[in-house]
Amino acid sequence: MFETTDAVVARALARGAEGAEAYAERGVSRRIKVYEQAVEQLTAARRKGVGLRLLKDGAVGYAYTSDVAEGALDELVEGALGAAGVADRDEHAVLPLPAAVLPGLTVYDERLTAAGDDDKIEVALAVEQAAFDADPRVKVVEDTIYADSDTEIFLTSSTGLRGSFRENHCYTFAYAVAEEDEGVETGLSFSAGRALDDLDPERCGREAAQRACELLGATKCRSMKATVVLDPFVAASFFGVLSSALTAESVQKGRSLFAPLVGTTVAGPHVSLVDDGLHPDGLASAPFDAEGVPCRRTVLIEDGVLRGFLHNTYTAHKAGCPSTGNAVRGSYAAAPMVGPTNLILDGPTTPRDEIIAAVERGVLVTNAVGVHSGANPVTGHFSIGINGLLIEDGRLTSPVREVTLAGDIVGMLKSVVALGDDARWIPMGSILTPSVVIEGMSIGGT
Amino acid sequence: MRFDDVEKPLLEATIGRALRAGGEFAEVFVEERHSLSLSLDDGKIERASGGHDFGAAVRLTVAERTYHAYTDDVTEAELTRAADAVAAAPRAAEPGAALPLGDRRDDRGLHPVARPPHDVAVDEKAALLRVADETARGHDAAVTQVTAAYVEGRQRVLIANSLGELVGDDRTRVRLTVNAVARRGDVIQTGYESVGKSMGFEILDEEVAAGLARTAAGKAVTMLDAQPAPSGPIAVVLANGFGGTLFHEACGHGLEADAVVKNASVYAGKLGEVVASPIVTAYDDGTLPGEWGSAAFDDEGVPMQKTMVIEEGRLRCFLSDRLRARKMGLSSTGNGRRQSFRHVPIPRMRTTYIAAGDATPEEIIAATDRGFYARSLAGGQVEPASGNFVFGVAEGYLIERGSVTTPLRGATLVGNGIEVLKSIDMIAGDLLVKTGMCGKDGQSVPVGTGQPTLRISRMTVGGTA
Repeated sequence: MFETTDAVVARALARGAEGAEAYAERGVSRRIKVYEQAVEQLTAARRKGVGLRLLKDGAVGYAYTSDVAEGALDELVEGALGAAGVADRDEHAVLPLPAAVLPGLTVYDERLTAAGDDDKIEVALAVEQAAFDADPRVKVVEDTIYADSDTEIFLTSSTGLRGSFRENHCYTFAYAVAEEDEGVETGLSFSAGRALDDLDPERCGREAAQRACELLGATKCRSMKATVVLDPFVAASFFGVLSSALTAESVQKGRSLFAPLVGTTVAGPHVSLVDDGLHPDGLASAPFDAEGVPCRRTVLIEDGVLRGFLHNTYTAHKAGCPSTGNAVRGSYAAAPMVGPTNLILDGPTTPRDEIIAAVERGVLVTNAVGVHSGANPVTGHFSIGINGLLIEDGRLTSPVREVTLAGDIVGMLKSVVALGDDARWIPMGSILTPSVVIEGMSIGGT
Repeated sequence: MRFDDVEKPLLEATIGRALRAGGEFAEVFVEERHSLSLSLDDGKIERASGGHDFGAAVRLTVAERTYHAYTDDVTEAELTRAADAVAAAPRAAEPGAALPLGDRRDDRGLHPVARPPHDVAVDEKAALLRVADETARGHDAAVTQVTAAYVEGRQRVLIANSLGELVGDDRTRVRLTVNAVARRGDVIQTGYESVGKSMGFEILDEEVAAGLARTAAGKAVTMLDAQPAPSGPIAVVLANGFGGTLFHEACGHGLEADAVVKNASVYAGKLGEVVASPIVTAYDDGTLPGEWGSAAFDDEGVPMQKTMVIEEGRLRCFLSDRLRARKMGLSSTGNGRRQSFRHVPIPRMRTTYIAAGDATPEEIIAATDRGFYARSLAGGQVEPASGNFVFGVAEGYLIERGSVTTPLRGATLVGNGIEVLKSIDMIAGDLLVKTGMCGKDGQSVPVGTGQPTLRISRMTVGGTA
């Protein structure tokens, strides 16, 4: 689609824009939902579109269209000019220059392109069957999904930057419902990769079932100060929310609790957090980011000390540093923002069994509800609902529900005393994290 | 091809082609959307974006399975390809039949637009954001940051199906939101207010923008003095308006028929049973004129309706789309909604609210010896299978001896839908509807939530004190 992006940039410049960047996408995707061993829903999609970011009189305007026909492209340019006309001038609004070298990174696997719908349906059916086989108390697998996408990106900028790459990936998701004696509990799991062979449908289904069943019979517990162990699923949702406070955009707008803390201790000495846009196993990896800047590895927290923030070209210009290659956009319909690529929580690890054995009284948290609404990255305060298993005298005992976990984020990070040896990729947000052990948390019950 | 160029013969041909290898129901959904969004942050209008989406989807159901193909290239060739994609889906069935398309229904005028946003100069829209920014900052010296956003959209849809129905709907929506951040020392608090309607620019002017800004700033500043909330079971008074999101989450999602037919809702099999206190009657209504969650038709071409879901404590009706209604042997309640042609319709709420009661808000507070007053909620989540939910409280206060006293921060409400509905023991007459975007299965649709001030005799509050 370079013919589209080149034409859009040329027209924007001809209409008086000082700079212009066109970002086009085209792709296909599949989404297959199965239910009770039959296909419930199959979606076949073909997508394309182009977004235009331009600079006019020092202000930025953005417009997008899914219609790339001749007339629509003129409308696109006029739309972006109109938007720029109402936006305020901004000296930091600059378009990135072409990079000397782009990382050689392949994020496309032709095996997925070659796979047919029948093979994909088989994968989804295997996930659901594994959930039923894992435990007779699984009465319903409410959602079993296989999905994939194959996308080509084309970017042309008036700075001379011009690039393209193709990316594909696939994943499965299972959401199992277990029932016993009036009690109902749910559990979910994922599997992801760039080819069907990368997926582990049996584990995905079995794990969703186990996560639901182990919570059956849950009761409320007493309020207490105790050790909590966040399993990798829960840790990933926490660090996903936290990452928005680690973008320079939040910092520069006074919306991050981390703003004044660079160089200080913000987490336990075991904790390092890295954003790695080039990790070979990360599904968010790419040769360049949403505005053409090469992706790279950025250390955010090193041995508990805050080292820096994530930048795109705009925030980097404002801060006087180079972009970290963290421009992100949901699709061509959105202008670039700042966000994480693959987040990796790293540090010395302890076998998971030893972690549990060392807890006198606490909760292994396997499900957290309301992390996105209940954790405030501005104030650092969070209060969320959790489910999990009580830990008593070093052993997992009974499941608990309707329990809240509350505190402040930095206080919690500083109280991280150990990381498990069970690190894994959680595809929602592309986060690689182990179990995280935190001491002295407020647990609200009865 | 433009939206207005899509004609009956092409729609009929596409439906016929989709059904040629079998199926009970086929549909073509054509959508065009023009949108504009402006956002002000840190005193500057920095995100100004215009969008144009135009696409079509072909949907086929065969033995309760759904095949869906979409494209954003609306041409005869691409519609043919989409019809072939659904027709080729793996299955074995007899060829399906389609009725010829009847006259197009539009039902214009249910949600009139006095000032189409497209006809209003962009500068006038931008001015609202600047007024909101200045007003919030001027409200109190503690206000350190303001974000405000203006969003407008005009969505036109054309829905044709194998039942011979042809429906057009033209939906204009406008929304303004204001977020204020207040800081004193190390304490930071935020406040939020918004207005949104299925109407035109006539709902907004500088006075409206200033009013939203004062409310948002007031919430943030008030909460600066908040004390950490206590933990434990307590009587909870939920204020009117945003409090309705609790009913939306804790009950509404469990009434959506996709969860019900899979027996993944606590409300499944409970029609006619007592699921709430006898003073509770609740509706899901897509017909409220000009409301954010209203339209003339749902996204399957079924006229929107006012659906009574709970009558004096008894469960009366689920919220269904065509597919789930067929499974349950009922008619669609007009709740089949989709975010866009890129999504399949699923049962979704419209404007959900608990009906007004007899008490006054003052009586409810006065009758509460010790309680928690949740003035506005921050959002929450529910697991429909169990009905367990959790909610953040954006603005909360302690109630002591019948009076609202200390502001409390960091509170979370945790509970179970049916248990909480059964514990409602007082309802006031001050019904108020608020607007929001509801996310489910990766689809976001505009919804309204509302309720009068009401009391829950006992529920769990999670705090940090």
